Amino acid sequence: MSFDLFNPTEEHRMLREMVAEFTTNEVEPQAAEHDIKGTMNVELMRQCGELGLLGITVPEEGGGAGMDTVASVIVHHELSKSDPGFALAYLAHSLLFVNNFYYASNAEQRERYMPKVLTGEWIAGMGMTEPGAGTDVLGMSSTAVRDGDDWILNGVKTYITNGCEAHCFQVYAKVDGRITTFVVDRDCPGLSTSHHIDKLGMRGSTMSELIFEDCRVPGNNLLGEVGGGMVHMMRNLEIERLALAAMSLGIADRCVEIMVSHAHERKAFGQSINRFGQIQKYIGDSYAMTEAARCLIYNVAQNVGPDVRNRIGSDAAKLFAAPVGKIVADNAMQVMGGQGYCREYPVERLWRDAKLIEIGGGTLESHQKNLTKDLSAKFRQ
Amino acid sequence: MKIGVCIKSTPDTSSRIQINPGGDDLSEAGVKWATSPYDMFAIEEAVQTKEATGGEVILFSASHQDTSKEVRKALALGPDSAVCIQDDGLAKADSLSFATSLAKAIEAEGCTLVFTGKRASDGNNIQVPAMVAELLGWPHVSFVTDFELDGESFKAVRAVGGGVEEVITGNLPVVITAERGLNSPRYAKLPMIVKAKKKPLATKSLADLGLTADDVAPIVTLSNYEPPAERGDCIILEGDAATTAKELVRRLREEAKVL
Ligand SMILES: Cc1cc2nc3c(=O)[nH]c(=O)nc-3n(C[C@H](O)[C@H](O)[C@H](O)COP(=O)(O)OP(=O)(O)OC[C@H]3O[C@@H](n4cnc5c(N)ncnc54)[C@H](O)[C@@H]3O)c2cc1C
Repeated sequence: MSFDLFNPTEEHRMLREMVAEFTTNEVEPQAAEHDIKGTMNVELMRQCGELGLLGITVPEEGGGAGMDTVASVIVHHELSKSDPGFALAYLAHSLLFVNNFYYASNAEQRERYMPKVLTGEWIAGMGMTEPGAGTDVLGMSSTAVRDGDDWILNGVKTYITNGCEAHCFQVYAKVDGRITTFVVDRDCPGLSTSHHIDKLGMRGSTMSELIFEDCRVPGNNLLGEVGGGMVHMMRNLEIERLALAAMSLGIADRCVEIMVSHAHERKAFGQSINRFGQIQKYIGDSYAMTEAARCLIYNVAQNVGPDVRNRIGSDAAKLFAAPVGKIVADNAMQVMGGQGYCREYPVERLWRDAKLIEIGGGTLESHQKNLTKDLSAKFRQ
Repeated sequence: MKIGVCIKSTPDTSSRIQINPGGDDLSEAGVKWATSPYDMFAIEEAVQTKEATGGEVILFSASHQDTSKEVRKALALGPDSAVCIQDDGLAKADSLSFATSLAKAIEAEGCTLVFTGKRASDGNNIQVPAMVAELLGWPHVSFVTDFELDGESFKAVRAVGGGVEEVITGNLPVVITAERGLNSPRYAKLPMIVKAKKKPLATKSLADLGLTADDVAPIVTLSNYEPPAERGDCIILEGDAATTAKELVRRLREEAKVL
């Protein structure tokens, strides 16, 4: 059989078919409602747990599926054809927490948390960004100091996806100026969350602040070593960026499909509007850029894993794919005219969702910055 | 107990069906294959029966083509192993050719309960399950909407139309064909997808089953395919219900002459 970049093994293909079926039957019907209400569907997340999707990148001995970055990309890609907002909540849970936590934790910590987060009994998230430090993440000001066996955390994290629902968070704070990783339960004394931060798109997920006021965290909730946070953060950002890029691809795929069938069915001046050159440009350009994003994302995904670092690839994939989702959603809306702008059809929702990929998990500018730095190091050694 | 399930790879319901240039057969080019939808109910019932009573579930497929992809996917739903009968001798198979090969394989595996879909979504012949039962010398119950097994005895409910249900009881062995509503097929869980790769899938030729080409020679051959005639234009009547109803009856009587 010939090599298939998008489904490198039979398991990948079966996974894609399963998630596609699940998306059509279970995810699509609930998407519009959660978008309007701005709520995350916790039950749907638990269904993902039942299907084994929450620990996709966790080895089998850790209770996961033992699959790779391509598999995670496939799930984000398929889910986002219907509900990028829910896919973002899924990303925060399965990658920002589960994947990140698994590779940073010890056996005792895994035993305490993994069973709960793999089933979705516990929802989880990750706190890195602060009001004063986003792109400049190393400039974070949250601190942790030792107090007997415990750690005392102070600071504020913001824009934390799943902040409203999560039972636990992976949190970065500085110990004597060195970024260190902790797992913090929602009921830790001294941790509170702000109100739900309302937003333009991705409304099938929620976000809030995490406020640490002399928050007392047990000593055995330190992940790895003091100062180990940098490696955890950077390693996880690569798979996160590919998953976000895949979400943009899902949006683009759905929008191409919608615009092609609409342009065929909609008649104006006595013919299908797909007979007009300007409409053909929207369709042709959208398809071409979607295919280019697909090839780039899946090609890079083959070379990203817990032990394979590839920041150049993952930054490039997200830098390229993020605007593709946005532009293709915009093209679809233009092809649909007034219908595209109306709530009755999914395009306006996808259009609002698409913009996030240019900001979250690293802004376009941060990818350009990283690429320049990494490429300079590579070519000027 | 060994529970068999016969499944057929048929063109996915979203595939465009095209006819070969010569018109002698359907084109297989560009077709996306999938397990026939009613077979999904059969697989689910077999797996649920196994979960309730123990035993193992074996999938059977028969084709001239390689069906291992679709069968592997079905294994991720819970069956334990599969027998794929693949032989060029089945290229022009009719219902009896398929039934003959499936019955032989079922017999060889020692199954005592067999589930199938009520019909395959391609040929729509509704013949193979009854033929398999006949060749095995077993009874069969078709279009089953509820199934219970208690030891060796079963109770099957079948819809006979007009809202009437028939309840059939009997003893194994039996062939049961699944109607929609029998159960809700599950999704393949990811750990099962990963395990499916390791489950035994045996590919067998007709000779492996002790059959010759003559044993499966088709009695029915299809020689000419034509696409259905294009549908005429659709007329949409405008106005309120009373006017359009009147106009519809007038047209049906005077123009279509069907009333
Ligand atoms: C919906 C959503 C969900 C999120 N979920 C999470 C989450 O779960 N956990 C989490 O920790 N964070 C989360 N974030 C935060 C996200 O990662 C940050 O918003 C992002 O990293 C950008 O940081 P910022 O918003 O502070 O923007 P800033 O860093 O203030 O950037 C503002 C502008 O300045 C530009 N800029 C900054 N520095 C440079 C530079 N050196 N060179 C050139 N341009 C520069 C940026 O590119 C941008 O255009 C989420 C954000 C959103 C919107």
